Amino acid sequence: MAFLLRRLAFYLAAFIAAATVNFFLPRVMPGDPIQIMFGSANANLTVENLNALRLTFGFIDAPIWQQYLTYLQSIFTGDLGRSIRYFPAPVSEILGRATIWTVGLVGIATILAFIVGTGLGIFAAWKRGTRADTAISLLAIFTTAVPAVVISLLALFIFAYQLRWFPSGYAYNPLLDPALSWTYISSVIYHGTLPMVTMFIVLLGGFAITMRNNMINLLGEDYIVMGRAKGLSENRVMFWYAARNALLPTVSNLAIALGTVVGGSLITEVVFNYPGLGNVLYQAILARDYPVIQGQLLIMTAAMLIANFLVDVSYVLLDPRLKKA
Amino acid sequence: MSAPVLSVRNLSIDYVGEDSDFHAVKDVSFDIAKGEFFGLAGESGCGKSTIAFAIARLHQPSALIRRGEILVEGRNVLDLDKKALEKFRWTEVAMVFQSAMNSLNPVLTIEAQFHDVLKTHLGLSREQSRKRAEELLALVDIPAERLKSFPHQCSGGMRQRIVIAICLALNPKLLIMDEPTTALDVVVQREILQRIDVLRKELGFSILFITHDLGLMAQVCDRIGVMLEGELVEVGDARQIHTAPTHPYTKKLWASMPRLRGAQIGGEASL
Amino acid sequence: MKQLLVGLSKNKKAVIGLSILVIILLVAIFAPLLTPYGASARVGRPHQPPSWEHWFGTTRIGRDVWTQMIYGARTSLAVGFGAGLMITVIGTVLGIIAGYMRGKVDEVINFFTNMILVIPNLPLLLVLAAFIGQASPLVIALILGFTSWAWGVRVTRAQTLSVREKDFVKSAEMLGEPKWRIMTFEIFPNLISIVGINFIGSVIFAVITEATLEFLGLGDPNAVSWGIMLYNAQNASALTVGAWWDMLAPCFALALLGLSLALINFAIDEVANPRLRTGSRLNRWKMLVRTGEGRI
Ligand SMILES: Nc1ncnc2c1ncn2[C@@H]1O[C@H](COP(=O)(O)OP(=O)(O)OP(=O)(O)O)[C@@H](O)[C@H]1O
Ligand SMILES: [Mg+2]
Repeated sequence: MAFLLRRLAFYLAAFIAAATVNFFLPRVMPGDPIQIMFGSANANLTVENLNALRLTFGFIDAPIWQQYLTYLQSIFTGDLGRSIRYFPAPVSEILGRATIWTVGLVGIATILAFIVGTGLGIFAAWKRGTRADTAISLLAIFTTAVPAVVISLLALFIFAYQLRWFPSGYAYNPLLDPALSWTYISSVIYHGTLPMVTMFIVLLGGFAITMRNNMINLLGEDYIVMGRAKGLSENRVMFWYAARNALLPTVSNLAIALGTVVGGSLITEVVFNYPGLGNVLYQAILARDYPVIQGQLLIMTAAMLIANFLVDVSYVLLDPRLKKA
Repeated sequence: MSAPVLSVRNLSIDYVGEDSDFHAVKDVSFDIAKGEFFGLAGESGCGKSTIAFAIARLHQPSALIRRGEILVEGRNVLDLDKKALEKFRWTEVAMVFQSAMNSLNPVLTIEAQFHDVLKTHLGLSREQSRKRAEELLALVDIPAERLKSFPHQCSGGMRQRIVIAICLALNPKLLIMDEPTTALDVVVQREILQRIDVLRKELGFSILFITHDLGLMAQVCDRIGVMLEGELVEVGDARQIHTAPTHPYTKKLWASMPRLRGAQIGGEASL
Repeated sequence: MKQLLVGLSKNKKAVIGLSILVIILLVAIFAPLLTPYGASARVGRPHQPPSWEHWFGTTRIGRDVWTQMIYGARTSLAVGFGAGLMITVIGTVLGIIAGYMRGKVDEVINFFTNMILVIPNLPLLLVLAAFIGQASPLVIALILGFTSWAWGVRVTRAQTLSVREKDFVKSAEMLGEPKWRIMTFEIFPNLISIVGINFIGSVIFAVITEATLEFLGLGDPNAVSWGIMLYNAQNASALTVGAWWDMLAPCFALALLGLSLALINFAIDEVANPRLRTGSRLNRWKMLVRTGEGRI
């Protein structure tokens, strides 16, 4: 418990660090920070609106630390400002809508990739030195070494443009209205499959290699030899003696791997024109819509921290040595 | 004399290298009779553990058995197929590893580590396993509450005794102990060996005891084999090996030992 | 060090990976000899498919794709190795200091390292690059170098913690050697393989991330690089209009470079960690078992 509380405090600090980057960046850039942040919107912003935006981002007539506190206050009350491009839509609303798509897409792809990748890693480690191991290792090297953007573009080219098996964009047929009907849901599945499979492939190799190497490192351990000496079935030793222990370092690596998940999802969405966070961010970058870009960093950091916390919790559940500590 | 429990015949084992092999065990033969406490001595790296692993066919690549037979109760272990091997392990030969402290699975409770072996070989239910495990732990003086513990919650000596208890779960014919006590202090080490000696007399299993501490070995064993660089250079009675060693290497080993301390452990325990 | 190199020269993955890398390097160095065109010159009609004059076709504004690709290799290699070196130097220095000094210094370094590790890297880079504006490859390399060293610190520190307990370090301490000497001459040489893995991994990361940032429109559109090629192709809707060569050429280049580096990295891991090694010993073992020269 104390362990988890310590982690929570740490994550709070990390979140504030990300917010601090947001706060200082426009202020250390050459030029007028207000002009940088909201310059592209001067024409369609009234004075009141501009003042409200300034307040949100801490541009007030006060010493810098008060500005900083003002900014932190807006963030912790959920006020991320308004989009310049889609003024007056609040950033939190724009991002909120996109988050649903991203969480669905990335969540499913990540969980599937973790299960399948870890399974392949276990198998490769158990059969190390065989052809199966070589094949899995090479496949894994390949998917980790080729940039997500390349994998996405190739998938798009082959399956959407050449074979025409899948559509080349959008989360569902834009002619449909969202509803709980089979037509709508099947459209969502049809549009989501290719980006999801792409994400899956992007993530698969990393999980497989990590598990394989962790497990091979353990195979010489005495408790695994003892498991075999006890005459247990191969499956029991492989899963409950070897894999179960190798899962611990794998799960703690998972926290770092989540960065790849976030990065990979951004790219996949842009390439497949999928209306998730990545695409919103891309549009915001093109329009230099800074409030949205900054809000994005906070949302993604928050997502990453929550995922990290879940990893911590599962680590505590998996490792008996931590439970009573 | 009845047929030996273990009979190792002309065993040679290599560790395969990229272009040449390392001969770890060279043409070794010895027998262990029923109920016998047999010691295998020799300096570090002479191939003792390699033999121990081969007896339960636990050796892994790149170890390769080049020649010889390993007969347990007359059956050649090397001829067993996968299923027969799984059945053979632990029912006939159980083993305490060189680092017994690390040979318990850190993520399973002690109970689960008794249960998996009892269920696999005897098909016992959870409750039956627990009862049997409690009896076994009593043999090594460990309270039954320990069943719910994880290995990291037990001391080193305790873990050692738990492993021994697991070894006895199926009444094996042969118990291999590969330097089971090197990591323990002298007092605990003695206690454990005494205990095992008593159990051996009660249950009638044989022991293959491996160590490089010849002095300790002379105190507990009936017969002793001395190994040098993969070869078994001398086998004999514990007393003979102690008082009248014939091979120069055995003499050298004795010369390098500190003076023998205390009486025969076996003698003490049977008082 | 020597051991590592000998091991690598016998490792098939390392040899293949290194060969590809050398080829890419040679192509980049001798780019002007391999094409009659200038990198940014408009030399043909827009979106010409591959032909004898234009091996990989032309872009929408009539640049030669092959020319852009081989000049772009210079940028990718320079950014990759430049940023990779920076990341590795910072990561190794901080990692050794944290692991060796321990105490307060370690706590501070470790705290910041862990913090950077949980803030998602790409979104952070996007925000940085967005404020900087059109970032040239040099600026991208610098940003990457300054923000991406955390993973290196973590692994180097972990390894340092175990090396510092070794006898030769203890005896150097007994002899009263200054700390910096111990860190440089006793500890560092024992971290070579970790540093090597960190370096290659960082190069891969830098190459990929540079291309990604540029693809997303945060780079300098006048630069000649694979990322900018992707960006231009995407803007020209190359796939939609059927000009696949425009998009696939930089994809192929990135995949090839990434693959060669990853093979090298995997090989270093195998050579440095004997447990991961499977190679020729095992093959001989299998052969002997098959021919009945021994039993298992
Ligand atoms: N996997 C292996 N590959 C190559 N050589 C090995 C391997 N395992 C052991 N050896 C070598 O085989 C020889 C015998 O090893 P073994 O473990 O049987 O020695 P030991 O007598 O048990 O020594 P100790 O008393 O230190 O446990 C040693 O010289 C060792 O270096
Ligand atoms: Mg040994």
